[in-house]
Amino acid sequence: MRKTIKLGILFSRSGSYGSLSSASRRGALLAIDAINSDESYDFVFETVDRDPKGNVDLYAPLCEEILEEKSVAHVIGCVTSWSRKDVIPLLERYGATLWYCLPYEGFEASDHVVYTHACPNQHLLPLLSWALPRFGNRGYLTGSNYIWGWEVNRVAREIILEAGGDVLGERYLALNDISIGHMIEEIRATRPNFVLNSLVGASSYTFLKAFAELAKTDSFFTPDNCPVLSCNLTESEFVEIGAAAEGLISAGPYFHGARGWPCHGVRSFESSFEAASWAAVMELAKLLQANPGAESAPISKLLSVNTYRTMVDTETHHTALPVLIAQVKDGAFQVLEQWQDIPADPYLSHSERRTDTRLPRLQIVK
Amino acid sequence: MMIRLHIPDLSKLRVAILHRPHATVQSLRRQCKPIGLDVFDCWPELPPKALAADFVFFDADMGYDAQFPWNTGEAPMPMIALIGSEAPGRIEWSLSQGADAQILKPVGDGGVFSALLIARRAFEVRQQMRDEICVLRGRLSQRQTVVQAVTLLAAAGRSEDEAYAQLRQLAMARRETMEDAAHRIVLAAQSQGGLHGKLGKH
Repeated sequence: MRKTIKLGILFSRSGSYGSLSSASRRGALLAIDAINSDESYDFVFETVDRDPKGNVDLYAPLCEEILEEKSVAHVIGCVTSWSRKDVIPLLERYGATLWYCLPYEGFEASDHVVYTHACPNQHLLPLLSWALPRFGNRGYLTGSNYIWGWEVNRVAREIILEAGGDVLGERYLALNDISIGHMIEEIRATRPNFVLNSLVGASSYTFLKAFAELAKTDSFFTPDNCPVLSCNLTESEFVEIGAAAEGLISAGPYFHGARGWPCHGVRSFESSFEAASWAAVMELAKLLQANPGAESAPISKLLSVNTYRTMVDTETHHTALPVLIAQVKDGAFQVLEQWQDIPADPYLSHSERRTDTRLPRLQIVK
Repeated sequence: MMIRLHIPDLSKLRVAILHRPHATVQSLRRQCKPIGLDVFDCWPELPPKALAADFVFFDADMGYDAQFPWNTGEAPMPMIALIGSEAPGRIEWSLSQGADAQILKPVGDGGVFSALLIARRAFEVRQQMRDEICVLRGRLSQRQTVVQAVTLLAAAGRSEDEAYAQLRQLAMARRETMEDAAHRIVLAAQSQGGLHGKLGKH
C-alpha cells in the first residue's frame, strides 16, 4: 500500500497571466500523474489545489489555507514575484516549501523556496552577451510597471552601457495597459539595434503585434535588423501573439522539442514553464523517495539529510540549468545557441557562473 | 564580450558577525552565502582581522564599547546592528557605535541584502560629509588670513569691497581657493618687510 503525500498547488487559472499559469499548472499535474502511475514510488501525491484567479491578494490567504488546514509541507505555484514574496512569510511560519517554476529577476534566495526556472545569469546576461555583438549595442527597453520589468531593465541598462552602447528609451506600462502607440513611435524615431521586451500579458501581445505591423511598413524593423528580445517569452503565449511571434528571440532553459533538461528528451513539453514545473515535482518526488521520513521537513532539512544527487543547490536553492537562445521561425522556436549546466547566481556575484562568450561566426559573402 | 557588472558589487567582500554562537548567526550566514560574501563570526571581541572587514554585524543586545578595536563611533566600515530588545538604551548605544542600518532579531529569511546596501550608502554619505566638514573647517580657520589679505589690498587705496573683489579675481585667475590666494598675499607682504609693518601703515 503506497502512502499519500499531500502537495499544494497554487496557480491562477484566469487573469492577465493565465496562459503562463496554466502552462505551469499543466506541467505539475503531468508530473503528479507520472509519479502516481509509477509503482516504484512508495507514495502517491494527492493535490490540494487552490485558484487565486490572478488576484495578487488571494495568494497568501489561499496558501495559508493549504498549509494550515491541510498540513501540506510542499506547495508548487505562484507566477509573479509579488505573489511569491507574499507567501514567503507563511512558508517561514509553517516550515513549508514553495517550488517556484518561472523565470524571475533574481536577488532572492529564500530558505523556503526552490527555484527551478532561470534567474538573470541564466536568461538576461546570456541573451544580451549573445545579441549585442550580433545586432549592435543600441537598445530600447520596455517593461510592465512592476519588479520584473524594472529589475530586468536595470541590469540590461548596466550591460548595454558597460558594452559602450546606448539605451535609446525606457518605457513602462501598467499591467493590462495596451496603449503602446507612444512606445512604437519612440522606437520608430530612435531606430535601435534591438528592443528588449519585458512587458507581460496583454500589453506584450499588443506591443508585439504593433511592432510586427511597423516592420511591414519600415524594413528597418525586421527581425534580421532589429529583433525583439525577451527573457520570458515561451510557446505558451503563441496563441495570443499569432503571426507577430515570427522572428522573436528568447532565452530560456528549454524550448519545445529540446533534448537534455529536464528529462533527456524522454518526454516533450509545450514550453519551459511546463518543463520547469514538471521538473520541480519530479525532483521533489525523488528527494522524498530517497529520504523516507522527511515528508514534512522544511527544504533546508530535507537537503541536509539528503542522500540523492539533487539538482537543487544547497546554498541558493536554485538549479543549474541549460541556457538556450532561440528564435521563432515558422511558428516554432529554433535554437540558435546553447550552454549546458549553468549554475544559478541570483545575486550576480559570481562571475565564474556566467556563460562563455560565443561571438558570431564570420560569414562568407557570395 | 566580457560582462563586468557594477551591481550589486558585494561578492567576495568580508563580513564580520559579532554575536555569540546562536541561530541568529546561522540565519545571517545562510543569507550571506548566495550573495557571495566571505563571513566569519566572533564573540566577545572583534579580532584584528575585523579591521579588514568590509561590513560588521554587531549584537545590540549584549554588546559593549570595549568589543571594538576602534574608538566609539569611529568604525572604518559600515556597521549593522542586530537588535532584539528595542529598548531605547540599547538603540542609543547602537547609534553611538555608528550603526548604519539594522536587522531585527530573530533573523528570518531576509533582510541582509537590503541592510548591506543601505548601510554601505549611509556609511559613504557619512564619510563624504566628514571629509567635506574637514575642508570647510580648514577654510573657516583661514578666515583671519582672508581679512588680513583684504586689508593689505585695501591699503593700496581701494575700498574694502573692491579689495575683496580683487582677491576673488586673483584666486580665479590661479584656479585656487580665496583662502589660498589670501595666504599667498599675506606671505608676500611678510617677506617684504613684515606684515605688521605693512598693516601698521594703514
